[in-house]
Amino acid sequence: MTDRLERMLNLTATLLDTRRPLTLDELAERLEPAYPDEKVARRRAFERDKETLRELGVPISVESVDDLGGESGYRIHPDDYYLPDLGLGDEERAALHVAVTAVRLEGGAAQAGLRKLGGIEGAAAPALAQLEVTPALADCFDAVSKRRTLEFMYRGEARVLEPYGVVHRFGHWYVVGRDRARDAPRSFRVDRIEGAPKVGAVRAFEPPPGVDPAAFLRDDPMAYGDAAPIDAQVLVDASRAAWVLDDLGTDAVVERRDDGAVVVGLQVVNREAFRTWVLGLLEHAEVLSPPAMRDDMVAWLRSLAVVPT
Amino acid sequence: MLALVPWILANPGSTLPELAQRFEIDERELEGDLELLPMCGLPPYTADRLIDVWVGDDGAVSIRLAEYFERPLRLTPAEGLGLLAAGRALLAVPGSDGGGPLATALEKLERVLGASGSVAVDVGGADHLAELRDAIEAGGQVELDYYSFARDEMTTRVVDPERVFNALGAWYLAGYCFRAAADRVFRVDRVRAVRSTGQPIEAHPNPPGTQGDGDPVYRAGPDDLRVRLRLESDAAWVADSLPVESRKDRAGGRVDVVLAVSGDAFLERLVLGLGPSATVLGPPEASTLVAAAAARVLARYTA
Repeated sequence: MTDRLERMLNLTATLLDTRRPLTLDELAERLEPAYPDEKVARRRAFERDKETLRELGVPISVESVDDLGGESGYRIHPDDYYLPDLGLGDEERAALHVAVTAVRLEGGAAQAGLRKLGGIEGAAAPALAQLEVTPALADCFDAVSKRRTLEFMYRGEARVLEPYGVVHRFGHWYVVGRDRARDAPRSFRVDRIEGAPKVGAVRAFEPPPGVDPAAFLRDDPMAYGDAAPIDAQVLVDASRAAWVLDDLGTDAVVERRDDGAVVVGLQVVNREAFRTWVLGLLEHAEVLSPPAMRDDMVAWLRSLAVVPT
Repeated sequence: MLALVPWILANPGSTLPELAQRFEIDERELEGDLELLPMCGLPPYTADRLIDVWVGDDGAVSIRLAEYFERPLRLTPAEGLGLLAAGRALLAVPGSDGGGPLATALEKLERVLGASGSVAVDVGGADHLAELRDAIEAGGQVELDYYSFARDEMTTRVVDPERVFNALGAWYLAGYCFRAAADRVFRVDRVRAVRSTGQPIEAHPNPPGTQGDGDPVYRAGPDDLRVRLRLESDAAWVADSLPVESRKDRAGGRVDVVLAVSGDAFLERLVLGLGPSATVLGPPEASTLVAAAAARVLARYTA
């Protein structure tokens, strides 16, 4: 185990030091402790080291050794390797430590980042918030910061996005940007991206100046989607009226009834979200209009009102 | 190691215990790793090309000839995002200092990562969040008017508030509820009113099985109904969003889960909302409950 650590440190230093790409054989000649002599074992050991270093973020680049596109060589370009000096002061590092302990993200990546910036400074904070982490999120952020396009499957459809930012709201992460096929702004739930997104070439697009990713998300989940908005009206019993108005605002009131019930008006784009919301009020709410949505609700409930045998 | 060496070079005279604390490594492990360094360097590994490490009598660690590790390794996307997300989330908590060292640290990070303005975090607010945080800080007991979503009822409870936290996109209050005579977790956005009782908070012994940080938000009780639910592929996300007790992946992206349910309304809402994408497999009383709820709601439309 320590042999391997030693070799990886030497490998890193050698790859940083060299002015030209080095082939595996050249590396094997130079490095100690040595790679195995046997070709297959040597390649396997090297690939493992390379993978481990890459996971740490060490940017090993694979290049042709000569201009004729011949054998592959390896090196690390110093500009890609080093973290530019951030000029972080002690107070700032301490503030980051507080943030990283108060806000938990699964996986410890934030703590690993903090170590690279100089480790723990100051006191930890008690846990205050927890954010979800999804596998595709780091890829999305990488694409955002390097202006790379994202290609992914979403709800069974292939999408190509020029991502401008990642936004956390309603407890979930969204990647927002310009949907190339539709040539329009879109947002996608990162945890609903099917599989791993494909990341395109660096600097493939320029985000519009002053773009604000947070503005891509409407405040109201019911406003999401591509469909045309429908005006709906819902009758809410007195017992739940106060809650609903807290939620929607008093501007949503269409009618106040004598028994304390209210009729609220909503603009619905996302019918699924609307239905879930109405049903969340159980028997204390009823869709009044439009007739098509009322009929849909009746059909939905009818199939649920029967106990399956 | 790759993070440690740059720090030691930039801060000569750091001692082993200081380094161990800063990088959260066991001191002995740290010593072992440092002993490794002198064998590292560049080929041909002659004396002038090896890293030199020594620990002085005063415990201070010094390193020489490690210019390749003088500056730290850049951040991976996950690390950069982790730092930015944690920082932006904390700034989004009501009451944070928007101009302080955290904000300036984030600006510097974003500039270096080429990510200015590209990570936004909204943790949401809640009407009575500030009052509850004040009560916790002052150590004062409170009386809450609380709407129990799972049971679909309004209750008034006296609570010794312990802490607030944000998870799954909502704010929660953990504390000792006198009505239940046990620790409970409440959603702050379902609190309709907070009143101080004028009493100080008492210490309550933690019942066995209580966790500190990282509590799951809902802890099932032994008496809670265990419902077996079959989720179609388009509702499979439910298995990830709710604290299911078990899950079995089936063909076609379907998932069967077992869910502990403490309030009827919770199950009714869940299954009614999912419609054809979910089926109650058992027990029979759960199926009946859901069907009855659907019938009650349907009655409004057909009356």
